[in-house]
This record gives sequence, C-alpha cells and structure tokens, in this order.
Amino acid sequence: MANWVPLWLHRLGSPPVFYRFAGAVRPWALGLAIALGAVALYGGLFVAPADYQQGDAYRIIFIHVPSAWMSLFIYGAMALAAFIGLVWRIKLAETVAMASAPIGAAFTLITLATGSLWGKPMWGTWWTWDARLTSELVLLFIYLGIIGLHHAFEDRRQGARAASFLVLIGAVNVPIVHFSVNWWNTLHQGATVRLLGPSHIDASMIWPLLTMMAATKCYYVSSLFARVRADLVVAEGGKGWVRDLALDDAKDAPA
Amino acid sequence: MTDLGMGHYGLYVWSSLAIFAVVLLIDTLVPLARRRRHLRDLHARLARQQNRRRPGTASNHESHP
Amino acid sequence: MTPGHLGAACAAVLRRDLLLAWRRRGDVAMPVLYALIVGTLFPFAIGPEPALLARIAAGVVLVTVLLSILLSLDGLFRADIEDGSMEQLMLAPQPLAMLVGMKMLAHWITAALPLIVVAPVLASMLHFPATAIPVLILALALATPLLSVLGAVLVALAGGARRSGMLLALMLLPLCVPVVIFAAGAVSAAQQGLPWAAPMAWLGAGLALAVVLGPLACAAALRIAMDS
Repeated sequence: MANWVPLWLHRLGSPPVFYRFAGAVRPWALGLAIALGAVALYGGLFVAPADYQQGDAYRIIFIHVPSAWMSLFIYGAMALAAFIGLVWRIKLAETVAMASAPIGAAFTLITLATGSLWGKPMWGTWWTWDARLTSELVLLFIYLGIIGLHHAFEDRRQGARAASFLVLIGAVNVPIVHFSVNWWNTLHQGATVRLLGPSHIDASMIWPLLTMMAATKCYYVSSLFARVRADLVVAEGGKGWVRDLALDDAKDAPA
Repeated sequence: MTDLGMGHYGLYVWSSLAIFAVVLLIDTLVPLARRRRHLRDLHARLARQQNRRRPGTASNHESHP
Repeated sequence: MTPGHLGAACAAVLRRDLLLAWRRRGDVAMPVLYALIVGTLFPFAIGPEPALLARIAAGVVLVTVLLSILLSLDGLFRADIEDGSMEQLMLAPQPLAMLVGMKMLAHWITAALPLIVVAPVLASMLHFPATAIPVLILALALATPLLSVLGAVLVALAGGARRSGMLLALMLLPLCVPVVIFAAGAVSAAQQGLPWAAPMAWLGAGLALAVVLGPLACAAALRIAMDS
C-alpha cells in the first residue's frame, strides 16, 4: 500500500519533534476540555429540565455516558496505535498505546462508579449484573491486565511490544465478551431496567451530552500528550535533546 | 435554575461529579509530576558529572569529595 | 516420513513433551488433586443441601477446571525458554506456529484431559444429575482446548516478564468470560431439560477459530517476548 503512512509517521514520530508538538498542544487541549466541560455541566446540571420519571438523578448521565463512550473510544485508539507500533515498529506508537491504557482505565472506573451511584436510587442496589455494567467491568480488567503486563518487563520497550499484542487480542475479545454477556443476561432474565430507555430525549439534554463528549475527547488528548512527554523523557534520558531539556529546565520554570 | 439539592438525589449527583473530578485531576497531575521529577533527577546527575570532570570550576553548591 | 518433514518434526515435539510429562507424573496429578480439593470445599462453605449443590455444580466444576488449567499453564514455556530449546524451535525450518501448536496439544493432553476424566466424579459429588453428565463432558471437551490455547498465547507474551503468576490470572480471566458463559449456559440448559445446542455451537465455533489463530498468535507472541 501507500508509502506515505510510514513516512508521515516517521516525521512526527521523531521523539524531540513530538515532544515539542505535544508540549505546545497540551495546554490548549486542557483549556478547551475545562471550558467545554464547564459549559456542558452547567447545561446538564442546571439548564436541562428534570426527567419526568427519574427526577434529577438522571443528571448523572452527563458524566456517566460520555465516560462510557470514552472507555471504548480510548480502547479503539489504543488498539490502532498498538497495531501501527507492532507492524511498522514505531516506538512512538507503542508509547502512545501504553500511555492510553491508564486514561482508558480511569474513564472505565468513572463509568463504573457513576453507574453504581445511578443504580442505587434507580434500582435500589449499588450493583446489578446488567449486561452493560458487566461488560464494562470486564473491560476494566482487560485494561488492568495490559497495564500489568507492560510494567512486568525489565525492558520497557519489550514490555510495550508485548502489551501492544495483548491490546490487539483484547480488541478481538471485547466484542465477543459483549455479545456473550448479552446472551447470558437474556438467559438469566435479571433486573433488566434499561438505563437509556426508548423514552424520547429532549434537545436540552442532547447538547450538554455532546459538549461533554467533546470535552472528554480534548481531555484525552491533553492527558495522552502529558503522559507521552513523561514517557519520552524517561525512555530517552541518555539522548542529547533530553539532556539539553534538563539543563534548560533549571534556568526557567518548567512549562 | 434547579435547586442544588437535586430533589432527593443531590448526594448521588454531586458525588458522581466529585469522583469524575478527582479521578481526572489525579490522572492529569501524575504524569506532569513524573516528567518534572525525571528532568530534575537528570539535571542533578548531569551537574554531578560535570563537577567530577572539572573539579576546580565547580559552579554549583554540591562539593565534590 | 523423512526426518526434516513437517509431520515428523511435529510428532517429535509432541513425543518429547509427552515423555517429559510422563517422567514427572506427580506434577501432572497436581491439577487434578487441586480441582478435587477445591470442589470439596464448596459443600463445606455453603452447606450440604443436595438441591443447592445441584444448582451450582456445573458452575463450580467449570470454574474449578479453569483455575486448575491456569495453575498448570504457568510453567508451559518456562523450561524451554530457560534451557534454550525454544530458540532452537524458532530457528527450525518448520513453521513455529505448528511446533507451538503441538506443545499446546501436549499441554491439553497432560493437563486438561485428566480434569475431564475426574469432572464427572466431582460433579456427582455435588449431586449433579447423571442425565446431564454427557453434556458436561462435551462442554468441557470444547472449553478446555479453548482455555489451553488462550492461556498458551498469554503465557508466551508474559515469557519475558519478571513475575508472571498472578499477572497470568489477571490477563487470562477476562478473556475467558465468553468460554465460561457458553459452557455453563449449555450445561445448565441441559440440566433443566432445555435445548443446549446453541451455546455448544458457539463454543465449537470459538474453538475452531482458536485452533486456527491461536498457534499463529502464540508464535508471534513468542517472537515478541524472546526478541531482545
């Protein structure tokens, strides 16, 4: 296929270039994330009307649903980076994949915690073996397995490659888990209260949701770049550009 | 504008928001601190090496034995 | 068959692994004993009522078998990596995937087959109905190779890691959720007199996929883990 994919990646894939690029983008992404998040929360918590069935408790979806989307989106991004890293042996792609895992795990954790906080008033229980909650829990375990495998190696590069392979295995497995858990849930007919029922959703509920989704995407970029910058400094500690950085660092306050 | 108590559900809504904020705040601060710590360690190591190479022209306060 | 032939090489790897296992028969018996002991702990923990035990018997047997396989997986490639024979297999002219597939087969024969043999005994101790035992054996016969293949891929990935015992459990258990669901679904359907063909067919489809892709993935994982 095309040669331009490795070429383009090669240019941005140079660690010092990416370090500077990420350092320039990160504050803007974080600022945008905070601004959009504040607007979305204002819209969701104060402007949108209370749901006629769930009252004000439904407002948790403005945090819960974007986090759930991000937990899957980050897995997709991580799988793409892992694939690029394994096929073209690009170190930066491996770093991106490994830096994504803790962020994805954080969003999965938020999804589970807020889902539980929503379940308590709605279902009367903190936890139920609902298909979606169960899939999300398995997803959290997969994230933790990836992080664990990455850190179990003495050689970080080798750990990143092994964990990238596990990311790809997980990418095959996550849809199978979701399908099997759905099958299992219909078999056992537990408490099947639907979180997002077919009830119509008001436009004043949609825009905060979409804004929050954009905010979490921006947040992901910001957090990813911060992690990649830290990983690059650690991995390239012996190289000249990091030495220069360390010497500059003492003179002026770190950016 | 709705009331801050959120009906009877204020506890649940606000604690969800708190969890969201705390988890993401930790996730933001940890890598920043890690990068800064590594750069500082590297700086200290480089300064020591420089000191050792030119003991007469020590420009920093660490005295070389 | 000539000595360099693929079939001969596969047979040699299989024979070697089975011989090694036979020389350490005590180690092979360990997972079986473990499964029996874990199985007998359940009545002590939840009480000896036959109805309750019969209700959970299938799940207990499946999870116990899964844990025993997990226990036996840990050392699957360790000896070969340490004494350098894994490098020899990688350098061999035959495809690594086939040779590694033979090692998986040997692992299944030595670790999973004895478990399938004792599973009916364990199930009967838990008052599992005798009429459903053939379905239990069939489900185990499809589920255990799947677990062996999945586990072997993950053991290969963790081959270069410092500590792998608990890590292997952390990596394997989320991946075998579908296996447990379908195997237990088929058995409990048979127990209630319901049709059990659909989950069994899913299990079979999964096994067919795993048998084809597993050795390839395992060979790729070994190359990543050994490459340094």
